Amino acid sequence: MKIGIRTRPGHEAAEAAAAERHGAFGVLIEPEAATAAVAGAAAATRTSLTRLVVRTVLGVDHPVTLAEDLAVLDNISAGRVVALVDTGELDLEAAREDLTLLLAALTPRPVRHQGIRWQVPAGLEGHDAPQEVEVTPKPVQVELPIWLTGAVARELGAVMGDPVLAEEPPACDRHRSVQPASARLSGDRESDRELVSRWRAAGATHLMLEVDDPEAAVPEIARYLIPEVAMPLFPRIVAEAMTPRPWPGPARYVTLPSPGASG
Amino acid sequence: MRFGAGLWCLQSTATMPRHPATAYRELLEDARLLDRLGYDSLWLSEHHFFYDGYCPSLPTAAAAALEVTENLHVATGMLLAPMRSPEKLAAETAALHERSGGRFELGVALGYRDVEFDGKGVPRQERVQRRKDALHAVHDAAPEVPVWLGSALPEAVERAGRHAHGVLYSGANPLSLVRDLSDAHRRGYESSDGSRPRPRIAALRNVWVTEDEREREAVLDWFRASYVLYAGLGWSVPQRGETAAMDFRAELDKALDDAVGTAIIGPAEQVIEGLHEVAEAGVDDVVFRVVVEGAPQAAIHEVLHRLAEEVMPALRDVEAT
Repeated sequence: MKIGIRTRPGHEAAEAAAAERHGAFGVLIEPEAATAAVAGAAAATRTSLTRLVVRTVLGVDHPVTLAEDLAVLDNISAGRVVALVDTGELDLEAAREDLTLLLAALTPRPVRHQGIRWQVPAGLEGHDAPQEVEVTPKPVQVELPIWLTGAVARELGAVMGDPVLAEEPPACDRHRSVQPASARLSGDRESDRELVSRWRAAGATHLMLEVDDPEAAVPEIARYLIPEVAMPLFPRIVAEAMTPRPWPGPARYVTLPSPGASG
Repeated sequence: MRFGAGLWCLQSTATMPRHPATAYRELLEDARLLDRLGYDSLWLSEHHFFYDGYCPSLPTAAAAALEVTENLHVATGMLLAPMRSPEKLAAETAALHERSGGRFELGVALGYRDVEFDGKGVPRQERVQRRKDALHAVHDAAPEVPVWLGSALPEAVERAGRHAHGVLYSGANPLSLVRDLSDAHRRGYESSDGSRPRPRIAALRNVWVTEDEREREAVLDWFRASYVLYAGLGWSVPQRGETAAMDFRAELDKALDDAVGTAIIGPAEQVIEGLHEVAEAGVDDVVFRVVVEGAPQAAIHEVLHRLAEEVMPALRDVEAT
């Protein structure tokens, strides 16, 4: 099971950088509903490897606009975006239509959507426009991963086939290749080891951890929790033994920093 | 005089193909360079549904450029206000303002391409009202963020002055039109209650510092190619009063000649002299239009260095007249 970190609103860039430094696979970015791509872009510039799971709330704008935001973010991050699509205040039918159009706008096919909530193109009188549009730029990834959350996420997932973020271990579907999950740490090492192990046993594949102060907590998570769920019967002695002494330097033959490390 | 550079459109075009993510990587590299060289602003541009990936999400691109810089302002020139929900734009503007320590500036335009209105389900006739709604929402959420409007119509520019909004002119405008527009903007501001400081007038200008005749020829090609792009997008300037029409669809060659005719290409002294004339046409801030079709990043960095080192110091204290 892979472990990621939930960032706090306004702290995404620094916390994503800390998560990457300590080997977390990704960060869950969930600022105010309308500003996910803005926060995601800030985190993208401070990292080069970590995945950016960005909460995208349906209903705050046209699904094509949400797709454009995600595609631009996927280009800024060179293909590291996962969209955590939140059904927000939409009912199942509305969420289904918005997600359908969002997905269509993220593919390399032209878009033509005639639904109850949206018509793309709208075919409005007086417009000299074609019968379909090409939403550009395309995401870098072959297929931008979609995870679901929100009030009608479970029903939507059943209809659309996308994985649903599990909030409790029994909600995990161990037959899925990807089963994302979210949990809050207590800060007590033993109970947190038990917590992540329970999620691993339940079949979660990507567990996003919430803590009070991610930058302070991430070294503890990297040393004690990520290894704990990286193999059966993890030999804890390798985590609990002394930390090797750091190299005193000075560095005379410095290698170039990675692109994401600068700025 | 303040100095910016633009327009970053994040394209991968038929004549200058590149990986789409390269455009965004270079944006960050360019932003860091502008910041280091002491430029005041970087300007982004928006379109939708165009084959070359022309950036459709300026708040996202601006967030990235702001995150990698310390003093540089990042502005939208222009964000197409009717294409985004007013509440979302207001929340994004406030977030960019707070995250950057007040370095985000919002330029908004109406848009002109039918395919963009139709793709977003926005009736063209609602575009003015939608921009008004967007500006109200932005003003409520982030009143400190400078707002810029763009137009080549004196009455629209006068209205912008009355509402204490800055204006950014197209680089294709001849200086005679720039003068008329600037007069209109000042008239508008003088008819306001004056409770806010006079908003600034900025102009994109096609500028390049070089002594090399081969480079000059290449730059002329680049400016020309950059306006062929507008022909592809269907942009035109209507004939108004004494201002001749610039129709990239009907009269491509004439429009290209007119647009490229505004360029100042030459040694630093010639560029300085040309920019004095721009200030005399009422312009407070110049946005160097150097990110143009055909110009490789190395050439853009070269000219950004030369402008910062040889041109900007001579004009810092120049004021618009």
